[in-house]
Amino acid sequence: MTPPVDRGTGRKDPNGPGRHSTRNGPAAHDATRWPRPGSVAPPERLAAVRILTGGFAVAYLAVRAPVILAVRDRAPGTFSPVGVLWWLDRPLPDAAVVALLVAALAAGVAFTAGAWFRVSGPLFALAVLLLGTYRSSWGQLLHFENLLVLHLLVLAVAASADAWSVDARRRRGPPKAGHDHGAPLRLLCVVVAVSYAVAGLAKLRYGGPAWASGDTLANHIAYTATRLELFGEAPAPLAGLAVRHAWALTPLAVASLLIELGAPLALLGGRWRDAWVASAWLMHLAIAATMAIVFPYPLFLVAFAPFYEVERVVPWLRARRRRRRRAFNRTPEPDPTIGVDP
Amino acid sequence: MSWRSWLQTHRWTLATVIVVAAMLLPVALDRDDFPLSTFPMYAEARPGTVVLPTAVGVDAAGGRQRLSLDVIAGVDDPLIAAAELRDAIAAGRADDVCAVIAERLAARGGETPTARSITAVEVATERHDTVARVRGEPSEVAREVHARCAVEGST
Repeated sequence: MTPPVDRGTGRKDPNGPGRHSTRNGPAAHDATRWPRPGSVAPPERLAAVRILTGGFAVAYLAVRAPVILAVRDRAPGTFSPVGVLWWLDRPLPDAAVVALLVAALAAGVAFTAGAWFRVSGPLFALAVLLLGTYRSSWGQLLHFENLLVLHLLVLAVAASADAWSVDARRRRGPPKAGHDHGAPLRLLCVVVAVSYAVAGLAKLRYGGPAWASGDTLANHIAYTATRLELFGEAPAPLAGLAVRHAWALTPLAVASLLIELGAPLALLGGRWRDAWVASAWLMHLAIAATMAIVFPYPLFLVAFAPFYEVERVVPWLRARRRRRRRAFNRTPEPDPTIGVDP
Repeated sequence: MSWRSWLQTHRWTLATVIVVAAMLLPVALDRDDFPLSTFPMYAEARPGTVVLPTAVGVDAAGGRQRLSLDVIAGVDDPLIAAAELRDAIAAGRADDVCAVIAERLAARGGETPTARSITAVEVATERHDTVARVRGEPSEVAREVHARCAVEGST
């Protein structure tokens, strides 16, 4: 019997039917290395990204609920609708904002659990899109949620609940034939790469090559620190250090540009991917430490999940638990008579 | 192969092309939006001396005390707070904003002795040498007060 194709690496899986291989092939020269075109992904990988992204989005909405609802107190005269809400000529009624948030949370739980996904998927993505758009419709565009919204929109229209979902349990059989679980994940990776590359282009376009000199970065760090202080808040912990040693900001500015413009390299997978994800994460850490500006989606690494074979975490955790149980069962019972006086 | 069949086979390739084109559209139009954006965060050159809107508490001796984001704008994001204040000042609503801030301050009852000593609120724009400020040096170059209002119930 011909072994089935390993849906993780595209290589034949000698483990037999129904067993997804967890072996790593010689990735360095593997043309089908994830997430390269041609590599395939099992439904569990798309499901894992659904769970991670949906879970993050629900937690984010829950934690940020007071801030999201605070738009109800904004002066109506400052309402300036953007995006899909361009057609609004006045702010939404307060009750509508509350209803939208509640609907988003409810749909988000269903999205994450993969329940009634054909409805909850698009509903959740749309609700988060509307909430993010509404928050940006008060004269100041916010850029913290763009990537999350784009990812949710892709996941919503993909077969994201074919595995590890309430819908899959109800189905009690294999998913519908013809579903591509790799292409939507690759699209998520492309969205990340394009977002960062566009950000890098913006620095060159609006700041010019001088952006790489480090002075612009120093002024931005000083500006955000001053703004925080004028609003009674403590500046970022490393803002002072960074500005006092501004000479170090030139290589950091160059590094930022290279990281952003080089984002498409992550699509090559392997070491390119790992190096880029690590660099991007460190860049966000540095932004948080010097400017107190936090982009939670990449900082918590959820934005980069599509680049990885994240479904392997579950069998790895199970194997670890099994090894621990075996080790515990092998450990002999302590002799209760030792140390007891005769 | 019919066009329907072709579409079905290549739907994700097509989707990728459409999504990438949509993401590059703001760049082509030079127009920031949500969620499709030019991601211009901190892209523009910024001078070392800037003008920032703020609101401060003033005690009976005329001393200034910084107010929190929550008191000034009821938010935790300085970007939003600054934008709100800037818009209010530009629209001639500084007095209204001042009154709202004073109400918030009074409602919180003065959470600290320092806060309780505030007798008035000023909405102002301040010009600062930001690099000097971060270095711990005097930074305020100029200040313009747009509104001043009393805090009810202050000591």
